[in-house]
Amino acid sequence: MQKIWNLRNIILLTLISIICGIIFFATGFIYNSLSLMLTPFGLAPFANDILIGLWIMAAPLAGFIFKKPGAAILSEILGSIVEMFLGGQWGASTLISGFIQGVASELGFAVTKYKHYDWIGIISTTITTTIITFIWDWFKNGYSSYAPNMLILLFITRMLSVFLFGGILTKLINNMLSKSNVIK
Amino acid sequence: MDPALKLITILIIAFEISFTQNLILNFIIIAFSLLILILNKIKIKSLLHILIIPIIPAIGIYSSQLINGSANYGIILATRVYAYVFLGATFTKTSSIEDLAFTLEQNFNLPSKFAYGVLGAFNLTETIKKEIKQIKMSATMRNLHLTFLSPTLYFKSIMSALNWSNLLAEGMTSHLFVENNPRTHFKIIHINKFDYVKIIITIVVVQLILIAF
Repeated sequence: MQKIWNLRNIILLTLISIICGIIFFATGFIYNSLSLMLTPFGLAPFANDILIGLWIMAAPLAGFIFKKPGAAILSEILGSIVEMFLGGQWGASTLISGFIQGVASELGFAVTKYKHYDWIGIISTTITTTIITFIWDWFKNGYSSYAPNMLILLFITRMLSVFLFGGILTKLINNMLSKSNVIK
Repeated sequence: MDPALKLITILIIAFEISFTQNLILNFIIIAFSLLILILNKIKIKSLLHILIIPIIPAIGIYSSQLINGSANYGIILATRVYAYVFLGATFTKTSSIEDLAFTLEQNFNLPSKFAYGVLGAFNLTETIKKEIKQIKMSATMRNLHLTFLSPTLYFKSIMSALNWSNLLAEGMTSHLFVENNPRTHFKIIHINKFDYVKIIITIVVVQLILIAF
């Protein structure tokens, strides 16, 4: 692990999370307007679950690019440190979410013993990410007091979002990168 | 106070309020953080920013609890949103990424490549922002509209990041940054023993409030 994390790769890893952050910031208004639209129906948490895939995307992307243990978790933590200082509204609290999302995604790669950088890896990291971030929101955002029907819908929405952004989009980007021979 | 110790304290408190339901603690945290921010002469503009921006998530979470959950819990969650934002701001408005990186490197054994690598990448943010804008613009000229859903946008940005990370790493190496060598420091940061006392008192007080109310 020491060898792969040299200066250049640390910079690259941080830049990848910065890129995801910048592209995501540009869509920040989507979150706010979606959230506002859903508020009168008491469905604001869906805004969070529809877009969660974008927040966690840096982790599987880094996992696929570096194909090494630690890539997913490091990218989320470094990304959240940068976001914190760039003036994200959550300040230092960003770090906790960053850490949890990083662990969640990393676990998916660890389960496959860091050998499956294909659809199996994607499905595995989608499942761990969805479950762990859902447990976190269970406590932090009070999901525990919603009715079972709403919880099931939230869970499915979240899984689809993670699969779309952290899975399909990540795989497409990864395919383009391997075609141009910049990664193996 | 030392930035790293401050960050650890804030993270412990933020983690704790995520798992407990205590309205009074949330209010005390908000008030205390506000006091710290005012004592540190926060600008009116940033104060308004952290007051107004969380309104959307706070009302959203409250209304969803009101309609689909329990109203009491909704108030706790809405104040929790503000407690998070204010607590987080006490760190970001009073510390810089440089101070955090330096103290982590000097006092907490963080390898210097991480401290300076992240710092270097952080300073490239504006450049990367411009690059992404440029990528989008040149695509628009060819009548292609790249959004956050287009893999091409990410692909091109990562290609430019690859280039920048190579250049920056080479630049740092040619300025004699050697990864695992010991370094001397221009700015030496010592942790005041009093800082540890402050951390312990803060955390103990939080526990006492949790038990009392």
